[in-house]
Amino acid sequence: MNDDILERIKSLAGEALVEIKSPEDKRIYVKVKPEAIVDVARRLKDELGFDMPISAGGTDYPKKNVIELFWAIWNSGMNKVVILKCEVDRDSPSIESLTGVWPGVQKFEREMWELLGVDFKGHPRLKPLLLPEDWTEGYPLRKDFDLKPYRAKWGDRI
Amino acid sequence: MTTPIKRYSPFGEIEEVGEGLFKLNVGPQHPISGQGRFIVLTDGERVFDIEVDIGYSHRGIEKILEYKTFVQGIVPVERMVMLDTSNILMGYVGAIEKVMDIEPPPRANYIRTIIMEMNRIVSHLYALGLLSESAAWNPAVFLWTTADREPFLDLLEMLTGARWSYSFFVPGGVRADIPRGFIERLKATLDWFEKRIEVYEEAWIYNELFRMRTEGMGVVSRQNAIEWGLAGPNLRASGVPYDTRKNEPYAAYGELDFKIVTHTAGDSYARGWARVEEMKVSIDIIRQAIDNMPDGPVRVRMPPRPKPGEALFRVETGRGEMNVYIVSDGKEKPYRIKISPASFRNFYTIEMLPKTQEILLADVPVLIYSFDPWFLDADR
Repeated sequence: MNDDILERIKSLAGEALVEIKSPEDKRIYVKVKPEAIVDVARRLKDELGFDMPISAGGTDYPKKNVIELFWAIWNSGMNKVVILKCEVDRDSPSIESLTGVWPGVQKFEREMWELLGVDFKGHPRLKPLLLPEDWTEGYPLRKDFDLKPYRAKWGDRI
Repeated sequence: MTTPIKRYSPFGEIEEVGEGLFKLNVGPQHPISGQGRFIVLTDGERVFDIEVDIGYSHRGIEKILEYKTFVQGIVPVERMVMLDTSNILMGYVGAIEKVMDIEPPPRANYIRTIIMEMNRIVSHLYALGLLSESAAWNPAVFLWTTADREPFLDLLEMLTGARWSYSFFVPGGVRADIPRGFIERLKATLDWFEKRIEVYEEAWIYNELFRMRTEGMGVVSRQNAIEWGLAGPNLRASGVPYDTRKNEPYAAYGELDFKIVTHTAGDSYARGWARVEEMKVSIDIIRQAIDNMPDGPVRVRMPPRPKPGEALFRVETGRGEMNVYIVSDGKEKPYRIKISPASFRNFYTIEMLPKTQEILLADVPVLIYSFDPWFLDADR
């Protein structure tokens, strides 16, 4: 589906493209190399009109030793959502911030920095958002963070 | 060296940070509803910065869901917003249905639509009550709206067994069919509520005093609304005709005919007005759903495990669009669920407003309430 848009994304991403698919009409999944993320994001916004950030987050894959990040961007003209992804190294995850392209991802990136431990270079406000300011017990959304010690003594079986 | 002054006022803690500049802590105990804090940088009259400090009720729902099966996850997800549980739950259940590749029966879709629209009315009523209260408006309006929620909560209790947190939607349909006598009572309630909306408009929306208080305040332009990722009635009040119910229909919305409420002003008044008009649209949707409701089963069997894959499901909650991104590795528990609620996005706009226009300290409560923010929603 969406063959013409897929072609245009392929040509603007060029060699940075890792994977692209569109399993349903209103979703386009694009995976690119991390070093090209800002460039691809800017061209997606300027040339194809993907302008409104609706979500961003990350998934931890300890077996592959990567963290997969995604930014979901809605296109107000075409009414489609692109899910822009990239993989960063799990040992020292670091990537350029996309706040310069889409200001609305600011809080989402802050959350990823806090809960997954991904460093965003050029982010204007990296400070604790959801966790306490003196939190030192690790990154909760990573898979090796175990929830069992936190379970209530009165027996929530998780 | 001057030591910072710390004083306690009825409005919160005040701290002097520079020459004539103060940090005013609004919160963290119930600045609106729930726990959260607005740190307002002011010289006593003008506001230079608003920082939203959320996380006081962070429960780690996304992490908890990784430890629960798909059906067990219903309970923590619902607790995100107590006023609007069914719309929130629809996002989670819809995402599971997408990744499981099942389709609920048509009758279940219509029942879901009716419950979600009743929930939207309940949610908007509460938002309007808080907005009127913050505008130093007659607190009676808050009591009216709170009282007018009751008939809807009673109806929801009749249908689902609980006034809120119903756990009524399950992957594959709804838990039960409509009880006898429910439709007649619902129709009568809608007829009564339609007249109540006229009262609100008369007392409030067309009222000169309320207009003077809110018009032209906190203007978000169309361009900014899109760039900052504003959601819901706030986005539509800025002139962006986006409504998930229309743009990406789920449940029975694709088969019903309704309009998207948009305004172009983008100020606090437009955001309040949009909510009143949306309640009228909700009444219209419920009536159509009652008339067109098909017969048949209300639940299909859910397969024990989904296929490995991912999906992004968008849903229009009372406060705006929420989306759920789900990654499944083929097991009976989700590998990762990312919930992006509406308030999380709306808070960013509140932070950005003082950077684009002059805001006075006296306007801050009205400004914030007009976005209908909800801390529990953003904290997860």
